[in-house]
Amino acid sequence: MTTPLESAEPAVQAAGPADERPTSRGTLQYALSKAGGALFSIAMVLVGTFFVFRLLPGDPVRNLAQGRNMTPDQLDLERRRLGLDKPLIDQFLNFVGDTLRLDLGTSYEYKRPVIDLIGERIGPTLLLTGTGLVIAVSLGIWQGTRAGWRHGSRFDRVSTGVSLLLWSVPTFWLGLLLMMVFGVGIGPIPSLFPFRGIESVDAPDGFGYVLDVASHMVLPCLTLVAVVYAQYLMVMRSSLLEEVSQDYVTVARAKGLRDDEVRRRHAVPNALLPTVTLVFMRIGFVVGGAVTVEYIYTWPGLGQLFYRAIEVPDFTLMQGTFMLITVSVIVMNTLADVVYHLLDPRVRSA
Amino acid sequence: MRKWFARLAVLGAALLVAGQGATAAHAQDPAAGKKIVRVGATQAMDSMNPFLAVRLVSTSIHRWMYGFLTVPDSKTLQPSPDLAESWTTSEDGLTWTFKIRQAKWSDGQPITADDAAWTFNKMMTDEAAKTANGPAVENFESVTASGQDLTIKLKAPQASMLDNPVPIMPKHVWESVTDMANYDAEKYPAVTSGPYIAIEHKKDNYVKLQANPNYWRGKPKIDELQVIFYDNPQAAIAGLKNGDIDLLGRMTPQEFEGIQNNPNIEAWNTQGRRASYLQINHGATTSDDKPIGDGHPALKDVKVRQALHYAIDKQKLVDEVQNGLAKVADGSIVPPMYKDFFWEATGDTKVTYDPAKANKILDDAGYKKGADGIRTMPDGKRKLEWRFTIHTDTPIEDKLAEYMTGFLKEIGVTLTTVKLDSSKFTEETGITGNFDIAISGWSVNPDPEEVFATHLCSRRPDANGEGGGTESFYCNKTFEQLYKDQQKELDRTKRAEIIKKMQEQLYTDAPIIAIYYTNDLEGYRKDRITSITPIPEDKGLLYGGSGYWPFYTVDVKAQAAGGGSAGGGSNTGLIAGIVGGVIVVGAAAFLLTRRRKSTADERE
Repeated sequence: MTTPLESAEPAVQAAGPADERPTSRGTLQYALSKAGGALFSIAMVLVGTFFVFRLLPGDPVRNLAQGRNMTPDQLDLERRRLGLDKPLIDQFLNFVGDTLRLDLGTSYEYKRPVIDLIGERIGPTLLLTGTGLVIAVSLGIWQGTRAGWRHGSRFDRVSTGVSLLLWSVPTFWLGLLLMMVFGVGIGPIPSLFPFRGIESVDAPDGFGYVLDVASHMVLPCLTLVAVVYAQYLMVMRSSLLEEVSQDYVTVARAKGLRDDEVRRRHAVPNALLPTVTLVFMRIGFVVGGAVTVEYIYTWPGLGQLFYRAIEVPDFTLMQGTFMLITVSVIVMNTLADVVYHLLDPRVRSA
Repeated sequence: MRKWFARLAVLGAALLVAGQGATAAHAQDPAAGKKIVRVGATQAMDSMNPFLAVRLVSTSIHRWMYGFLTVPDSKTLQPSPDLAESWTTSEDGLTWTFKIRQAKWSDGQPITADDAAWTFNKMMTDEAAKTANGPAVENFESVTASGQDLTIKLKAPQASMLDNPVPIMPKHVWESVTDMANYDAEKYPAVTSGPYIAIEHKKDNYVKLQANPNYWRGKPKIDELQVIFYDNPQAAIAGLKNGDIDLLGRMTPQEFEGIQNNPNIEAWNTQGRRASYLQINHGATTSDDKPIGDGHPALKDVKVRQALHYAIDKQKLVDEVQNGLAKVADGSIVPPMYKDFFWEATGDTKVTYDPAKANKILDDAGYKKGADGIRTMPDGKRKLEWRFTIHTDTPIEDKLAEYMTGFLKEIGVTLTTVKLDSSKFTEETGITGNFDIAISGWSVNPDPEEVFATHLCSRRPDANGEGGGTESFYCNKTFEQLYKDQQKELDRTKRAEIIKKMQEQLYTDAPIIAIYYTNDLEGYRKDRITSITPIPEDKGLLYGGSGYWPFYTVDVKAQAAGGGSAGGGSNTGLIAGIVGGVIVVGAAAFLLTRRRKSTADERE
């Protein structure tokens, strides 16, 4: 990607000779100020997480008892064990201290450290949402580029229409539909792909295991990609449309470059900028998984963990997963800002 | 460039071959020839430690793993020998002596009375060990062992002793556990005394159980029992249709209808363990008799509650809300499957749908209709406008609320629906008393004592909202006395008579109104499972039943060699291989054309 970006001459020219190269000091300063902002956001999230989750209805101790008759002594014991007997402010201070030490506490429900649970779940989530992101971004950029370049063509109309249709379909509904059609099979379509979990119960070893996991990924991935790729397509399409009417494109054409060359070497690199930002922002959400998709396909990821935590409610687990999700979104947003700064000289001069 | 293409082509071919290889590997998979039954569950296990596990799926699995003193008989559901092969009771009913069977744990160690004594004493001395079954030892004074003799001394007589829900644990394995509250018992193979041994548990994924060769009744017919967890019911139903699982229980009527016409699935529809009832706020009080909550005053009047009972068309509810897959409740909280404890109203006591009679009762009691057709309190101050509290996201309860609103309109009462999430629901209908009428229900065990205990004065919450577990805020002298009487009565027939009187009391005083007994709806693959004995044997339950009987007796076709394992395995390997190959070849072709173009450009 770097080669075509360097040839984005018009943008550099527009920024003027003084800013031709990013001075390391300026970039560092910029990155530091962004990082400061991010730290402040994270601090606010820390406070918010603690108090907002305690506003949720339901007493975790009672819910853990699952409606069983517990004596007041037993309830007291449970509360002491979970530290819920202490004043709220003490609970909060403990929470902040522990979080800073990266001790996310012990889950009420699983009775294991939250950090361990997250460690177990983050792999499957990254695999699923990461793959989904890569496919969605590639598909979106490819279709967006073609649609934007041949604006108003049949390809444009069809791809935009289909992607927007999928974008507006409820994930849960689409997931069940795909499960019924390609999982169970309908009419002439046989049962093609498994739809529960990340692996078969009696999964083979070695390369067979890789294939087993890959086949389990097909339906969840398809669902994830189908509902999100429209945003990459639309952003790519609209930013390319803006570039198409720019003078430098006309100049490139006037130079006698082939249409394909003009698009690939000149228009697309510039049009990619907003999409890059969007992708970075979405990477943050990758960590959070896709709660709905994981729930439909019993995918053992963070989304499923978060869903379970809310059901109880398991405060420590909710705090832990929520913190992880928000922090990764904030970090990635900050990174997006910095990367954009590096990629686009116009931002530096602003 | 050509090299690129060549490399990719080789990779693609390799993938394809490997895909085929995986298929071949599948053919020799270790499951081939084994008898495996896979049970689906829409709830994941909370703990492998029976002292902590409270979820239904966990207690079911533990029932397949561990022996109890007694278990319900597969035909009569009456207590029958399990690890205790016989027992005697002292004259005063306070001392019980159980003779423990000469049998072996799955690791070959002998089972002794000491194992049972250790289990009960652990629960009596360690608060954490009480988490799952604490109330079961509350009445125990002392538990001692001598050889195979287990002696339990009680504080007060207790007829339900023979329905003790505590699994007996192997002392030699468990006595080293110091921190029971945090012990997850994830050690495999587990040491058990029941028909199965847990050999693997992947949290939120599956549990694998192996037949126990040392089981005293004899080894089960199958080799392996797997419990496979699904996050959502739709996926579990799809799994059953697809043959990924062999059996699925606890279906709703809507889910059940989805499998009814499937040629490979036996749709299992029998009487269930559950009674659904309306909980009526007849003047909620705390355990020190102080009024609590904001229930409508009219419902304190037993005549109003009876009128309400006459206004409900239970048959309509069965037909429309439960799609006919339930039985109208003409009794109380014990469903008809428990033949010896079931009570049904007859003659004058019986309430049948009769809105005219309901209206007459209310007219006579002075609840006059206003100009708008809505009745008011006899003092004219407050209209009869009640709330109906149900759970969020339960379509069945939404439908029920619609019909209830219609029924009550007929007798001049406005009903508005309040939807609460389950924790808030429990709080308002069991602790704060902020409701008028609420939906509720209870799955009854072979010994129904616990469901009656939920209507005792002592189950009401205290002033701080602690304790509790009430299903009605009920506190009635007659009922309390009957409860004590049945606890002392060791003669089963006489005890059943008292238990029926308690049901009659609940029926006529109407702190709760039973509306229907929902059927037990399950399904299993008849192309796989060749035989399974329900509990009770005559039209009983499978997964929904109590005890291990169905899963001890189940027999299944052996796994075919190659394929047939979860998700049509062989197909998947091949498809994944082909898909992988196609992607690689496609990518190669794409790159190739691109390279061609760029070289062409460079030439220009």
